[in-house]
Amino acid sequence: MADMLDGFLALSAALTGFTGHRLRGTGQAEAYLATATGIVGEGVMRDLLLAADEARASAGGDAAKHEAELRRLIMSDDRLGPVARNIIRMWYVGSWYQLPKPWREAHGQSPRDHDHVVSPISYTEGLLWPAIGANPAGAKPAGYGMWAMPPRIAPG
Amino acid sequence: MSLTKITDKAGLHRHLEAAMQLEHATIPPYLNALYSIKPGTNTEAFHILRAVAVEEMLHLTLAGNILNAVGGTPDMTVPGFVPLYPAYLPDGETDFQVDCQAFSRAAIETFLKIERPAQGATPGVDTIHKGRKRAHHNGHKRHGTALRARHVPGNEEEHFYSIGEFYQAIEEGLERLHAEMGDALFSGDPARQIGPEYYYSAGGGLMAVTDLASAKAAIRLISEQGEGVTDNIFDYEGEIAHYYRFEQLLLGRYYQKGDARGRPTGREVAVDWDAVFPIKANARIADFPEGSALRQGAEEFNRAYGDFLSLLTRAFQGEPALFVEAVGGMFQLKELYYQIMRQPLGDGTHAAPTYEIPHG
Repeated sequence: MADMLDGFLALSAALTGFTGHRLRGTGQAEAYLATATGIVGEGVMRDLLLAADEARASAGGDAAKHEAELRRLIMSDDRLGPVARNIIRMWYVGSWYQLPKPWREAHGQSPRDHDHVVSPISYTEGLLWPAIGANPAGAKPAGYGMWAMPPRIAPG
Repeated sequence: MSLTKITDKAGLHRHLEAAMQLEHATIPPYLNALYSIKPGTNTEAFHILRAVAVEEMLHLTLAGNILNAVGGTPDMTVPGFVPLYPAYLPDGETDFQVDCQAFSRAAIETFLKIERPAQGATPGVDTIHKGRKRAHHNGHKRHGTALRARHVPGNEEEHFYSIGEFYQAIEEGLERLHAEMGDALFSGDPARQIGPEYYYSAGGGLMAVTDLASAKAAIRLISEQGEGVTDNIFDYEGEIAHYYRFEQLLLGRYYQKGDARGRPTGREVAVDWDAVFPIKANARIADFPEGSALRQGAEEFNRAYGDFLSLLTRAFQGEPALFVEAVGGMFQLKELYYQIMRQPLGDGTHAAPTYEIPHG
Protein backbone atom coordinates (compact mmCIF):
# COMPACT_ATOMS: atom_id res chain seq x y z
CA MET A 1 0.00 0.00 0.00
CA ALA A 2 3.01 2.26 0.42
CA ASP A 3 3.08 2.74 -3.34
CA MET A 4 -0.44 4.19 -3.12
CA LEU A 5 0.45 6.90 -0.62
CA ASP A 6 1.65 9.51 -3.12
CA GLY A 7 -1.46 8.98 -5.24
CA PHE A 8 -3.65 9.16 -2.16
CA LEU A 9 -2.02 12.45 -1.13
CA ALA A 10 -2.51 13.88 -4.64
CA LEU A 11 -6.17 12.80 -4.63
CA SER A 12 -6.64 14.17 -1.12
CA ALA A 13 -5.05 17.51 -2.03
CA ALA A 14 -7.48 17.84 -4.96
CA LEU A 15 -10.45 16.87 -2.79
CA THR A 16 -9.65 18.99 0.28
CA GLY A 17 -7.96 22.08 -1.15
CA PHE A 18 -4.96 21.66 1.17
CA THR A 19 -1.46 20.98 -0.18
CA GLY A 20 0.08 17.53 0.01
CA HIS A 21 2.68 19.03 2.34
CA ARG A 22 0.02 20.29 4.71
CA LEU A 23 -1.79 16.94 4.56
CA ARG A 24 1.38 15.00 5.36
CA GLY A 25 2.00 17.49 8.15
CA THR A 26 -1.07 16.20 9.98
CA GLY A 27 0.65 12.85 10.41
CA GLN A 28 -2.60 11.12 9.43
CA ALA A 29 -2.07 10.25 5.74
CA GLU A 30 -1.05 6.63 6.30
CA ALA A 31 -3.86 6.03 8.79
CA TYR A 32 -6.51 7.49 6.49
CA LEU A 33 -5.30 5.51 3.48
CA ALA A 34 -5.24 2.32 5.55
CA THR A 35 -8.70 3.00 6.98
CA ALA A 36 -10.32 3.73 3.63
CA THR A 37 -8.58 0.88 1.81
CA GLY A 38 -9.37 -1.56 4.59
CA ILE A 39 -13.06 -0.77 4.26
CA VAL A 40 -13.66 -0.30 0.53
CA GLY A 41 -10.99 -2.74 -0.65
CA GLU A 42 -7.84 -2.24 -2.67
CA GLY A 43 -9.70 -2.54 -6.00
CA VAL A 44 -11.95 0.43 -5.34
CA MET A 45 -9.07 2.46 -3.95
CA ARG A 46 -6.87 1.79 -6.99
CA ASP A 47 -9.72 2.75 -9.34
CA LEU A 48 -10.24 5.95 -7.36
CA LEU A 49 -6.56 6.88 -7.61
CA LEU A 50 -6.55 6.06 -11.35
CA ALA A 51 -9.58 8.30 -11.87
CA ALA A 52 -7.79 11.08 -9.98
CA ASP A 53 -4.73 10.63 -12.22
CA GLU A 54 -6.94 10.80 -15.28
CA ALA A 55 -8.69 13.96 -14.07
CA ARG A 56 -5.36 15.64 -13.44
CA ALA A 57 -3.92 14.56 -16.80
CA SER A 58 -6.88 15.69 -18.85
CA ALA A 59 -7.04 19.06 -17.03
CA GLY A 60 -3.45 19.83 -18.06
CA GLY A 61 -2.95 22.37 -15.29
CA ASP A 62 -6.29 24.16 -15.82
CA ALA A 63 -7.77 24.41 -12.30
CA ALA A 64 -11.37 24.88 -13.42
CA LYS A 65 -11.14 21.94 -15.78
CA HIS A 66 -9.50 19.84 -13.08
CA GLU A 67 -12.45 20.46 -10.78
CA ALA A 68 -14.93 19.67 -13.56
CA GLU A 69 -13.11 16.43 -14.32
CA LEU A 70 -13.05 15.44 -10.63
CA ARG A 71 -16.81 16.00 -10.52
CA ARG A 72 -17.36 14.03 -13.73
CA LEU A 73 -15.01 11.11 -13.06
CA ILE A 74 -15.24 10.77 -9.30
CA MET A 75 -17.91 12.73 -7.45
CA SER A 76 -20.76 11.78 -9.77
CA ASP A 77 -19.64 8.15 -10.00
CA ASP A 78 -21.88 5.82 -7.94
CA ARG A 79 -18.99 3.61 -6.89
CA LEU A 80 -16.22 6.18 -6.37
CA GLY A 81 -18.19 9.28 -5.32
CA PRO A 82 -19.33 8.14 -1.86
CA VAL A 83 -15.82 6.91 -1.06
CA ALA A 84 -14.31 10.25 -2.12
CA ARG A 85 -16.86 12.11 0.05
CA ASN A 86 -15.91 9.92 3.00
CA ILE A 87 -12.23 10.64 2.45
CA ILE A 88 -12.98 14.39 2.50
CA ARG A 89 -14.90 14.04 5.76
CA MET A 90 -12.10 11.96 7.26
CA TRP A 91 -9.53 14.67 6.49
CA TYR A 92 -11.74 17.44 7.85
CA VAL A 93 -13.04 15.87 11.06
CA GLY A 94 -10.77 12.87 11.63
CA SER A 95 -13.56 10.28 11.66
CA TRP A 96 -14.76 7.62 9.23
CA TYR A 97 -18.51 7.61 8.73
CA GLN A 98 -20.42 4.56 7.55
CA LEU A 99 -20.91 4.59 3.78
CA PRO A 100 -24.45 5.21 2.44
CA LYS A 101 -26.79 2.22 2.32
CA PRO A 102 -27.01 2.04 -1.50
CA TRP A 103 -23.22 1.84 -1.70
CA ARG A 104 -23.05 -0.86 0.97
CA GLU A 105 -25.71 -2.92 -0.79
CA ALA A 106 -24.05 -2.59 -4.19
CA HIS A 107 -20.38 -2.95 -3.24
CA GLY A 108 -20.20 -5.10 -0.14
CA GLN A 109 -20.31 -4.45 3.56
CA SER A 110 -17.05 -4.34 5.43
CA PRO A 111 -17.38 -5.14 9.14
CA ARG A 112 -15.14 -2.13 9.74
CA ASP A 113 -17.54 0.22 7.95
CA HIS A 114 -18.99 1.92 10.99
CA ASP A 115 -18.62 5.39 12.45
CA HIS A 116 -15.32 5.69 14.28
CA VAL A 117 -12.51 8.09 15.11
CA VAL A 118 -9.45 7.06 13.11
CA SER A 119 -6.66 7.80 15.61
CA PRO A 120 -6.14 9.51 18.96
CA ILE A 121 -4.94 12.69 17.25
CA SER A 122 -7.06 12.64 14.09
CA TYR A 123 -9.65 14.96 15.67
CA THR A 124 -7.12 17.61 16.63
CA GLU A 125 -5.41 17.25 13.25
CA GLY A 126 -8.69 17.69 11.37
CA LEU A 127 -8.58 20.23 8.55
CA LEU A 128 -11.74 21.88 9.73
CA TRP A 129 -9.71 23.79 12.34
CA PRO A 130 -7.29 25.54 9.99
CA ALA A 131 -10.18 25.95 7.53
CA ILE A 132 -12.18 28.02 10.02
CA GLY A 133 -9.11 29.70 11.55
CA ALA A 134 -9.50 28.25 15.03
CA ASN A 135 -7.75 25.82 17.32
CA PRO A 136 -9.49 22.53 18.06
CA ALA A 137 -11.67 22.85 21.13
CA GLY A 138 -9.94 21.38 24.14
CA ALA A 139 -6.65 20.76 22.33
CA LYS A 140 -3.62 22.66 21.03
CA PRO A 141 -3.76 25.36 23.70
CA ALA A 142 -2.41 28.68 22.47
CA GLY A 143 -0.91 29.86 25.75
CA TYR A 144 -1.85 32.10 28.64
CA GLY A 145 -3.65 35.30 27.69
CA MET A 146 -3.86 34.42 24.01
CA TRP A 147 -7.64 34.35 24.23
CA ALA A 148 -7.49 38.13 24.18
CA MET A 149 -5.87 38.07 20.73
CA PRO A 150 -7.15 36.96 17.33
CA PRO A 151 -6.31 33.32 16.59
CA ARG A 152 -3.21 32.87 14.49
CA ILE A 153 -3.73 29.78 12.43
CA ALA A 154 -1.75 29.08 9.30
CA PRO A 155 -4.42 28.13 6.74
CA GLY A 156 -1.94 25.93 4.84
CA MET B 1 33.64 34.86 19.57
CA SER B 2 36.10 36.19 22.03
CA LEU B 3 35.61 36.81 25.71
CA THR B 4 38.16 38.28 28.06
CA LYS B 5 38.10 38.77 31.81
CA ILE B 6 35.43 41.24 32.88
CA THR B 7 37.10 44.51 33.82
CA ASP B 8 34.49 47.04 32.81
CA LYS B 9 30.82 47.41 32.06
CA ALA B 10 31.30 46.77 28.36
CA GLY B 11 32.96 43.46 29.17
CA LEU B 12 30.08 42.54 31.45
CA HIS B 13 27.63 43.38 28.66
CA ARG B 14 29.56 41.14 26.26
CA HIS B 15 29.43 38.26 28.69
CA LEU B 16 25.71 38.69 29.26
CA GLU B 17 25.07 38.94 25.51
CA ALA B 18 27.03 35.70 25.18
CA ALA B 19 24.94 34.23 28.02
CA MET B 20 21.72 34.97 26.13
CA GLN B 21 23.19 33.52 22.96
CA LEU B 22 24.37 30.48 24.91
CA GLU B 23 21.03 29.82 26.58
CA HIS B 24 19.27 30.20 23.27
CA ALA B 25 21.76 27.96 21.43
CA THR B 26 20.69 25.02 23.57
CA ILE B 27 17.02 25.38 22.68
CA PRO B 28 16.89 24.29 18.99
CA PRO B 29 18.82 21.05 19.74
CA TYR B 30 16.53 20.32 22.69
CA LEU B 31 13.38 21.10 20.68
CA ASN B 32 14.52 19.00 17.72
CA ALA B 33 14.98 16.01 20.01
CA LEU B 34 11.75 16.74 21.88
CA TYR B 35 9.51 17.05 18.84
CA SER B 36 11.17 14.18 16.99
CA ILE B 37 9.57 11.92 19.57
CA LYS B 38 6.44 10.56 17.92
CA PRO B 39 3.41 12.07 19.63
CA GLY B 40 1.97 9.77 22.25
CA THR B 41 5.17 7.72 22.75
CA ASN B 42 8.14 8.08 25.11
CA THR B 43 6.05 10.06 27.56
CA GLU B 44 8.73 10.13 30.26
CA ALA B 45 11.54 11.16 27.93
CA PHE B 46 9.23 13.77 26.40
CA HIS B 47 8.56 15.33 29.78
CA ILE B 48 12.21 15.30 30.82
CA LEU B 49 13.25 17.03 27.59
CA ARG B 50 10.36 19.46 27.69
CA ALA B 51 11.06 20.53 31.26
CA VAL B 52 14.72 21.18 30.44
CA ALA B 53 13.89 23.13 27.27
CA VAL B 54 11.42 25.31 29.18
CA GLU B 55 14.00 25.99 31.88
CA GLU B 56 16.51 27.08 29.24
CA MET B 57 13.88 29.60 28.13
CA LEU B 58 13.68 30.78 31.74
CA HIS B 59 17.47 31.10 31.86
CA LEU B 60 17.45 33.07 28.62
CA THR B 61 14.93 35.48 30.12
CA LEU B 62 16.93 35.81 33.34
CA ALA B 63 20.11 36.55 31.37
CA GLY B 64 18.14 39.22 29.48
CA ASN B 65 16.96 40.69 32.78
CA ILE B 66 20.50 40.88 34.14
CA LEU B 67 21.73 42.51 30.93
CA ASN B 68 18.92 45.07 31.09
CA ALA B 69 19.63 45.70 34.78
CA VAL B 70 23.24 46.71 34.08
CA GLY B 71 22.25 49.03 31.25
CA GLY B 72 22.79 46.67 28.31
CA THR B 73 20.48 46.11 25.37
CA PRO B 74 19.25 42.58 24.74
CA ASP B 75 19.00 41.96 21.01
CA MET B 76 18.11 38.55 19.65
CA THR B 77 17.81 39.77 16.09
CA VAL B 78 21.49 40.32 15.33
CA PRO B 79 22.82 38.04 12.58
CA GLY B 80 24.59 35.11 14.20
CA PHE B 81 22.50 35.16 17.36
CA VAL B 82 21.05 31.87 16.21
CA PRO B 83 23.98 29.61 15.32
CA LEU B 84 24.11 27.34 12.32
CA TYR B 85 24.30 23.80 13.59
CA PRO B 86 26.56 21.98 14.24
CA ALA B 87 27.78 24.76 16.50
CA TYR B 88 30.16 25.40 19.35
CA LEU B 89 28.62 26.86 22.47
CA PRO B 90 29.24 30.60 22.79
CA ASP B 91 31.03 30.34 26.14
CA GLY B 92 34.13 29.02 24.42
CA GLU B 93 33.74 25.29 25.05
CA THR B 94 35.83 24.12 22.14
CA ASP B 95 36.05 20.38 22.72
CA PHE B 96 32.64 19.54 21.25
CA GLN B 97 30.03 20.78 18.82
CA VAL B 98 26.28 20.66 19.27
CA ASP B 99 24.14 18.99 16.61
CA CYS B 100 20.45 19.49 15.92
CA GLN B 101 19.36 15.88 15.71
CA ALA B 102 16.64 13.36 16.51
CA PHE B 103 16.07 11.98 19.98
CA SER B 104 18.78 9.33 20.29
CA ARG B 105 21.59 8.18 22.57
CA ALA B 106 23.99 10.39 20.61
CA ALA B 107 21.74 13.42 21.17
CA ILE B 108 21.51 12.78 24.90
CA GLU B 109 25.29 12.32 25.10
CA THR B 110 25.70 15.77 23.54
CA PHE B 111 23.16 17.19 25.99
CA LEU B 112 25.23 15.77 28.85
CA LYS B 113 28.21 17.72 27.54
CA ILE B 114 26.12 20.89 27.35
CA GLU B 115 24.97 20.46 30.93
CA ARG B 116 28.15 18.99 32.37
CA PRO B 117 29.19 19.95 35.87
CA ALA B 118 32.16 22.18 36.44
CA GLN B 119 35.62 20.71 36.07
CA GLY B 120 36.72 18.84 39.11
CA ALA B 121 33.19 17.67 39.70
CA THR B 122 33.54 15.08 36.96
CA PRO B 123 36.60 12.91 37.44
CA GLY B 124 38.87 12.20 34.52
CA VAL B 125 37.95 15.11 32.29
CA ASP B 126 40.04 17.96 31.05
CA THR B 127 40.35 21.05 33.15
CA ILE B 128 39.36 24.57 32.31
CA HIS B 129 41.73 26.31 30.00
CA LYS B 130 42.08 30.01 29.50
CA GLY B 131 44.48 29.71 26.65
CA ARG B 132 45.47 32.25 24.06
CA LYS B 133 43.30 32.03 20.97
CA ARG B 134 43.03 28.32 21.28
CA ALA B 135 39.64 28.33 19.60
CA HIS B 136 41.15 29.65 16.40
CA HIS B 137 43.84 27.03 16.26
CA ASN B 138 41.89 23.87 16.87
CA GLY B 139 41.28 23.19 13.21
CA HIS B 140 37.50 22.91 13.48
CA LYS B 141 35.28 24.76 11.15
CA ARG B 142 33.36 27.21 13.27
CA HIS B 143 29.77 28.00 12.51
CA GLY B 144 27.79 31.00 13.40
CA THR B 145 28.96 31.47 16.96
CA ALA B 146 29.14 35.06 15.98
CA LEU B 147 29.13 37.05 19.09
CA ARG B 148 30.45 40.38 17.92
CA ALA B 149 33.99 40.03 19.10
CA ARG B 150 35.94 42.99 20.35
CA HIS B 151 39.47 41.95 21.00
CA VAL B 152 41.15 43.57 23.95
CA PRO B 153 44.92 43.62 23.32
CA GLY B 154 47.02 41.99 25.98
CA ASN B 155 44.16 40.08 27.52
CA GLU B 156 43.76 36.36 27.31
CA GLU B 157 40.68 34.85 25.81
CA GLU B 158 38.48 32.95 28.15
CA HIS B 159 37.29 29.46 27.35
CA PHE B 160 35.10 27.84 29.92
CA TYR B 161 34.83 24.14 30.47
CA SER B 162 31.22 24.39 31.56
CA ILE B 163 28.29 26.75 31.57
CA GLY B 164 28.47 26.84 35.36
CA GLU B 165 32.00 28.24 35.26
CA PHE B 166 30.97 30.78 32.65
CA TYR B 167 28.29 32.09 35.02
CA GLN B 168 30.78 32.05 37.88
CA ALA B 169 32.94 34.42 35.87
CA ILE B 170 29.92 36.66 35.30
CA GLU B 171 29.10 36.66 39.00
CA GLU B 172 32.70 37.54 39.89
CA GLY B 173 32.63 40.31 37.31
CA LEU B 174 29.40 41.67 38.78
CA GLU B 175 30.88 41.68 42.27
CA ARG B 176 34.11 43.30 41.12
CA LEU B 177 32.33 46.07 39.25
CA HIS B 178 29.85 46.58 42.06
CA ALA B 179 32.73 47.03 44.50
CA GLU B 180 34.13 49.70 42.18
CA MET B 181 30.96 51.46 41.12
CA GLY B 182 28.41 50.68 43.79
CA ASP B 183 24.75 50.60 42.81
CA ALA B 184 25.51 52.78 39.79
CA LEU B 185 26.29 49.44 38.13
CA PHE B 186 22.56 48.74 38.03
CA SER B 187 21.72 51.71 35.85
CA GLY B 188 19.12 49.95 33.71
CA ASP B 189 15.48 51.01 33.56
CA PRO B 190 13.54 48.73 35.96
CA ALA B 191 10.52 49.04 33.64
CA ARG B 192 12.41 46.81 31.18
CA GLN B 193 12.43 43.86 33.52
CA ILE B 194 10.36 40.82 32.54
CA GLY B 195 8.86 39.87 35.87
CA PRO B 196 6.73 36.98 37.07
CA GLU B 197 3.58 38.81 35.95
CA TYR B 198 4.52 37.95 32.36
CA TYR B 199 5.55 34.39 33.00
CA TYR B 200 3.80 31.25 34.03
CA SER B 201 4.15 27.54 34.50
CA ALA B 202 7.69 27.39 33.35
CA GLY B 203 10.27 25.80 35.53
CA GLY B 204 10.46 28.05 38.51
CA GLY B 205 10.58 31.67 39.32
CA LEU B 206 11.27 34.44 36.92
CA MET B 207 12.62 37.36 38.91
CA ALA B 208 13.20 41.01 38.14
CA VAL B 209 16.86 42.01 38.51
CA THR B 210 17.50 45.43 40.02
CA ASP B 211 20.52 45.04 42.30
CA LEU B 212 23.44 42.77 43.15
CA ALA B 213 21.37 40.45 45.34
CA SER B 214 18.73 39.78 42.68
CA ALA B 215 21.41 39.40 39.98
CA LYS B 216 23.20 36.80 42.09
CA ALA B 217 19.93 35.03 42.81
CA ALA B 218 19.20 34.84 39.08
CA ILE B 219 22.67 33.40 38.39
CA ARG B 220 22.26 30.89 41.19
CA LEU B 221 18.96 29.72 39.75
CA ILE B 222 20.48 29.27 36.28
CA SER B 223 23.52 27.42 37.57
CA GLU B 224 21.67 25.12 39.89
CA GLN B 225 18.96 24.17 37.42
CA GLY B 226 21.50 23.44 34.75
CA GLU B 227 24.59 21.58 35.63
CA GLY B 228 25.38 23.08 38.94
CA VAL B 229 28.87 24.15 39.81
CA THR B 230 29.15 21.38 42.31
CA ASP B 231 28.51 17.68 41.94
CA ASN B 232 25.10 17.79 43.59
CA ILE B 233 22.47 15.76 41.80
CA PHE B 234 19.70 17.66 43.56
CA ASP B 235 19.73 21.37 44.39
CA TYR B 236 18.58 23.15 47.56
CA GLU B 237 14.97 22.95 46.46
CA GLY B 238 15.25 19.22 45.82
CA GLU B 239 15.12 19.72 42.06
CA ILE B 240 17.30 17.46 39.96
CA ALA B 241 19.88 19.20 37.74
CA HIS B 242 19.61 18.92 33.95
CA TYR B 243 22.76 16.84 33.63
CA TYR B 244 21.36 14.11 35.84
CA ARG B 245 17.90 14.28 34.29
CA PHE B 246 19.45 13.46 30.93
CA GLU B 247 21.70 10.81 32.41
CA GLN B 248 18.58 9.01 33.64
CA LEU B 249 17.55 8.46 30.01
CA LEU B 250 20.84 6.78 29.14
CA LEU B 251 20.98 4.73 32.34
CA GLY B 252 17.29 3.81 32.12
CA ARG B 253 16.59 4.58 35.74
CA TYR B 254 15.53 7.58 37.85
CA TYR B 255 17.74 9.12 40.51
CA GLN B 256 16.46 9.38 44.02
CA LYS B 257 17.79 11.22 47.03
CA GLY B 258 21.00 9.73 48.40
CA ASP B 259 22.11 8.17 45.09
CA ALA B 260 25.70 8.40 43.99
CA ARG B 261 26.50 9.94 40.60
CA GLY B 262 26.16 7.45 37.77
CA ARG B 263 24.28 4.96 39.93
CA PRO B 264 20.58 5.87 40.10
CA THR B 265 18.45 3.49 42.14
CA GLY B 266 14.94 4.81 41.46
CA ARG B 267 12.36 3.15 39.24
CA GLU B 268 13.01 2.37 35.61
CA VAL B 269 12.65 4.97 32.86
CA ALA B 270 11.02 3.40 29.83
CA VAL B 271 12.67 4.70 26.66
CA ASP B 272 11.75 3.63 23.13
CA TRP B 273 14.64 4.92 21.01
CA ASP B 274 12.82 3.81 17.83
CA ALA B 275 9.54 5.72 18.30
CA VAL B 276 11.14 8.76 16.73
CA PHE B 277 10.85 10.64 13.43
CA PRO B 278 14.23 9.91 11.82
CA ILE B 279 14.94 13.59 11.17
CA LYS B 280 18.00 14.62 9.22
CA ALA B 281 20.71 15.97 11.52
CA ASN B 282 21.57 19.65 11.06
CA ALA B 283 19.17 19.96 8.12
CA ARG B 284 19.47 22.99 5.83
CA ILE B 285 16.97 24.60 3.48
CA ALA B 286 19.22 23.48 0.61
CA ASP B 287 18.46 19.85 1.57
CA PHE B 288 14.83 20.33 0.51
CA PRO B 289 13.87 20.31 -3.18
CA GLU B 290 13.70 23.77 -4.72
CA GLY B 291 10.13 24.94 -5.27
CA SER B 292 8.69 22.16 -3.07
CA ALA B 293 5.93 22.76 -0.55
CA LEU B 294 8.27 21.32 2.07
CA ARG B 295 10.88 23.96 1.31
CA GLN B 296 8.22 26.65 1.58
CA GLY B 297 7.09 25.17 4.88
CA ALA B 298 10.65 25.15 6.24
CA GLU B 299 11.19 28.73 5.08
CA GLU B 300 7.91 29.71 6.72
CA PHE B 301 9.19 28.22 9.98
CA ASN B 302 12.43 30.22 9.76
CA ARG B 303 10.49 33.43 9.06
CA ALA B 304 8.11 32.71 11.94
CA TYR B 305 11.07 32.02 14.23
CA GLY B 306 12.73 35.28 13.18
CA ASP B 307 9.47 37.13 13.89
CA PHE B 308 9.31 35.44 17.28
CA LEU B 309 12.85 36.61 18.15
CA SER B 310 11.96 40.13 17.00
CA LEU B 311 8.92 40.16 19.25
CA LEU B 312 10.98 38.89 22.20
CA THR B 313 13.57 41.57 21.52
CA ARG B 314 10.90 44.27 21.60
CA ALA B 315 9.66 42.80 24.89
CA PHE B 316 13.21 43.09 26.31
CA GLN B 317 13.70 46.59 24.93
CA GLY B 318 10.90 48.25 26.82
CA GLU B 319 7.62 46.55 25.92
CA PRO B 320 7.53 43.69 28.44
CA ALA B 321 3.81 43.08 27.89
CA LEU B 322 4.69 41.68 24.46
CA PHE B 323 6.31 38.77 26.25
CA VAL B 324 2.90 37.13 26.69
CA GLU B 325 2.20 37.29 22.97
CA ALA B 326 5.68 35.99 22.14
CA VAL B 327 5.25 32.99 24.41
CA GLY B 328 1.83 32.34 22.84
CA GLY B 329 3.48 32.34 19.43
CA MET B 330 5.68 29.44 20.51
CA PHE B 331 2.67 27.16 20.44
CA GLN B 332 2.22 27.93 16.78
CA LEU B 333 5.89 27.22 16.14
CA LYS B 334 5.31 23.81 17.68
CA GLU B 335 2.58 23.09 15.12
CA LEU B 336 4.91 24.09 12.28
CA TYR B 337 7.58 21.87 13.84
CA TYR B 338 5.39 18.79 13.66
CA GLN B 339 4.26 19.57 10.12
CA ILE B 340 7.89 19.65 8.97
CA MET B 341 9.10 16.64 10.92
CA ARG B 342 6.40 14.43 9.42
CA GLN B 343 7.77 14.97 5.91
CA PRO B 344 9.93 12.13 4.57
CA LEU B 345 12.85 13.22 2.39
CA GLY B 346 12.94 10.01 0.41
CA ASP B 347 16.33 8.87 1.73
CA GLY B 348 15.03 7.33 4.92
CA THR B 349 15.27 10.59 6.84
CA HIS B 350 12.64 13.20 7.61
CA ALA B 351 12.80 16.97 7.33
CA ALA B 352 13.44 19.25 10.31
CA PRO B 353 13.44 22.99 10.95
CA THR B 354 16.77 24.48 9.85
CA TYR B 355 16.99 27.66 11.96
CA GLU B 356 18.50 29.62 9.10
CA ILE B 357 16.93 32.89 10.15
CA PRO B 358 16.41 35.46 7.37
CA HIS B 359 17.65 38.97 8.14
CA GLY B 360 16.70 42.30 6.67
